[in-house]
Amino acid sequence: MLNAEHNSENIVLTRIQVKINVPFDRLKNYLSELNDLGLIENENTLKLTEKGRQYLEEYENVLDFMKRMGIAYR
Amino acid sequence: MSLAAEFAVEVVSAVLCFVLVKFMFKPYELTKEGRYLGLPLGFAFFGIAEVSLAIGIFESLNELRFLSLVTRTFAFVFLATTYYFSKEPTKNSRLFWDVTFSLLVVALTTLSLLAIRGSTIGIEVPTSLSVFLRVLSLICISYICLHTLRSHIKAPEPTTIWIPLGFILLGVSQYSLLIWAGDENYAYGIAFVGAMVARLVGLGVFIVVSYLSLHKTKNVNTDERNSA
Repeated sequence: MLNAEHNSENIVLTRIQVKINVPFDRLKNYLSELNDLGLIENENTLKLTEKGRQYLEEYENVLDFMKRMGIAYR
Repeated sequence: MSLAAEFAVEVVSAVLCFVLVKFMFKPYELTKEGRYLGLPLGFAFFGIAEVSLAIGIFESLNELRFLSLVTRTFAFVFLATTYYFSKEPTKNSRLFWDVTFSLLVVALTTLSLLAIRGSTIGIEVPTSLSVFLRVLSLICISYICLHTLRSHIKAPEPTTIWIPLGFILLGVSQYSLLIWAGDENYAYGIAFVGAMVARLVGLGVFIVVSYLSLHKTKNVNTDERNSA
């Protein structure tokens, strides 16, 4: 979702909220946390920083690795 | 096969195992779920088994040979337990994993102490225990092979067949060692050489698959940047 939103030009927080099915205030908390960790540029967009991009790549690599290992992960 | 060649094979196996520990740690690093710790622990104990056996060969110490057998068995037990608990976790399954993990650590510590210090306190390790440990290794490997093959069959992809193949090769290695251990002369026959070859190839498969999957996207991005 982060990858898709990062690539789109119009990021709408309510659309993200519907997709991940969390209350808006909790979404804001998550975005604040991502911002504090330096993974997104600011809390109003989902534009990834370089660090965020690297984290997403690593995350996808590990998920692929776990799939190849035959380990299910939600 | 000479002692020197066997020593070299054990050292190479140990190196491959410890390299794999770094890769196998990634799922725990990402998810912080204790149930994935069995992967790096399994390969770490596998590496410790190889180191113990290498030293046992070099110094002609039977205690270290038995320690190697114990740690290798528990390596497979940890791996099998990880696969067993890899399903969607529930509150009870997490507790069950913690209890199982603790029991395994206690059992491993007890057997390791028995291996190292048993003879000094007059406790002889029965031959049946060695056979039991080898059979247990085989059972755990068979379970892992079935689990990984089932995962592959559920979602068949070319990339997901290699890990079951790696575990099958480790299983062949263990089975060959069981046959070799049944030979009273412990001669370096086909069974022993086959076990060594199957183990090295199996570990090699894990290394290649782990490296390719964990470095895959970076390679793609490098190619994209170069072409741009």
